Amino acid sequence: MKYVFKFSMGLLVVGVLTASASAQKRAVADTGRTRGPYSVVLSVGGGLSYYSTHLGVPATLSNIQLSRFGVPLTIRALWVPDHRLRLGLESGWTTMYSYRGRANNTEGRVYVSAIPTLAIFQMPLAWLSGNERSIARRLSVTGGTGVYIVHSRLDYESTVQTSTISLGWMAAASYTQPIGPRFRVSGELKWYDAVASENAAFAAQLQLNYRLIRW
Amino acid sequence: MTTRYLLLFGLLIAALTGCRKEYDAPVPYTFTAATGAGRFSTPVRQAINGVYTVTDGSDVFGPQVVLKWTYIHNGADTAHHLSVYTSNVGYFDMEPQQQLGGLGVSGYWRRLQNTEIGLVQLTVNVKRNGVVSPFSGMLATGDTLVVSGAYGNDGVLPSKKLTMTYARPLNPRSFSILAHRAGGRTSDLLPASENSVEIIKMASRLGATGIEVDVRYTKDGIPILYHDNTLNLRLIQKNGLAGAIESYTYQQLTTFVRLLNGEKIPTLEEALETVVNNTDLSFVWLDTKYVRSMTQVQSIQRTYMQRAKAAGRSLQIVIGLPSDEAVSLYRDLPEKADTPVLCELDTSITRSINANIWAPRWTLGDQTAEVDVMKAEGRSVFVWTLDEPQFIQEFIDRTRFDGILSNYPCVVAYYHYIQQ
Repeated sequence: MKYVFKFSMGLLVVGVLTASASAQKRAVADTGRTRGPYSVVLSVGGGLSYYSTHLGVPATLSNIQLSRFGVPLTIRALWVPDHRLRLGLESGWTTMYSYRGRANNTEGRVYVSAIPTLAIFQMPLAWLSGNERSIARRLSVTGGTGVYIVHSRLDYESTVQTSTISLGWMAAASYTQPIGPRFRVSGELKWYDAVASENAAFAAQLQLNYRLIRW
Repeated sequence: MTTRYLLLFGLLIAALTGCRKEYDAPVPYTFTAATGAGRFSTPVRQAINGVYTVTDGSDVFGPQVVLKWTYIHNGADTAHHLSVYTSNVGYFDMEPQQQLGGLGVSGYWRRLQNTEIGLVQLTVNVKRNGVVSPFSGMLATGDTLVVSGAYGNDGVLPSKKLTMTYARPLNPRSFSILAHRAGGRTSDLLPASENSVEIIKMASRLGATGIEVDVRYTKDGIPILYHDNTLNLRLIQKNGLAGAIESYTYQQLTTFVRLLNGEKIPTLEEALETVVNNTDLSFVWLDTKYVRSMTQVQSIQRTYMQRAKAAGRSLQIVIGLPSDEAVSLYRDLPEKADTPVLCELDTSITRSINANIWAPRWTLGDQTAEVDVMKAEGRSVFVWTLDEPQFIQEFIDRTRFDGILSNYPCVVAYYHYIQQ
């Protein structure tokens, strides 16, 4: 019997929302308090990814060369309010895997990549406790769900490029370091999972965060 | 605060331990691929075909089953299989087994709506004046065949008693039992993938007298069998490829794509070659899943009908027209002689193209008046795609259709053959 993790992100998102709702209730009860500030933060990041699930290489190929590594790119817009739950959108691009081999005396190559298009939820581990230098305030967890546009390219006799949509999710943990009034840098470990197409990758990224507006 | 963290912790545990079970039903029996029928001569096999009452084992297989021999040609050789069809969407697939002594068969049983599967070993005996003895091949008046032995679950050696006693012969009425996707769906965990050469060879053992296959074209214009419009993990092994199957050439598909059970995607010609050379199937329904000229499929259809005729086979190959687009493709053919077609649209369109067969969907009901009119006009009438045992029984008992297309031909076979 084989077990696979499928819905953990959804459950975590529910957990995050529940915790956030509780925090909001408390904020609302705190009458007289001025809301804000709110801000929108743009993030751009890149790093290294490793394809972390089973992959299929046709048995008809010989001299197989396989690569599970890729260089992912992340673009994220995050609404950072005065409570713990942050909401946003994330996209980008990541290599899933590629392989090459020979069949019928012809070289063949398959390359699989994905563009995540996700609604994301982020929560710092601490909010009102500690001070600005508190590590817990700088650590955050992020979850997201949406679709992956999985792109496939075959080079064998001719080139075939196709795409398919796969439901999926993402989970990440990050540490953010302030480097200026508007800039932060983050180190993020994340898990991409395009569930329907059974593609998953683990990524380590360095991100630059820019506070676009604040009110 | 504590409650919140406990909730988060609980959710994390649920996430990490949550699971989706992946179902499979691996066949626990390896067939010997032996040819010939051993001691099961033609008269013996004919005597065994019939409806049987189940005593031991009726809690698992129901009170009544159908036993029927089928065969498959391998070149000049013929391999015989004994199938059992049950009321609860189950079948047995067994081969003659010399080691069991007497007239013995062994193989496996399976229920298609779950993952229940197991080994089975049976011998054929005769009951005479209350005394059971091995069947020698000769039946005297008053003798009754008793097929008995044991079955087990999964790969466990058979130990549970199974006794089936001959009740009456099979219903002799002619009726087409058509297997969807050449035998059944891959999702029902059959031993072979849908629309493969391997499932075509199995179709008779699953109860079918004919098959329906899905025809598409590759990028370079070769007709192949494949149901969905895209490469996806429901039907193929993971290989990184996706998108419309029409985007790929036949060579690319042959090299990089394998169906879920490891088979190649067959060409239409390979499939029909198998039907003609290896099976006793009498009907092939070529479902039109393409939007391009029908001339190539028509040419292949004619070639294999001629080959079947030359081989002395009574084989009908028809082009299925499921949509207005497919009817237009048919109308566009420069000439339509020797091109039997099956129309899934209404009776007026069926008449307008003079289709040989009318095949309405089963949800439209019994349509007795329309069926009678179409049959009076010399057409056959099939209904599709009927899988629910209760409805299969009702359609066989109370309607006037000439055949049923089903993902579970074993159920159609059961209800057809037990009909008195």
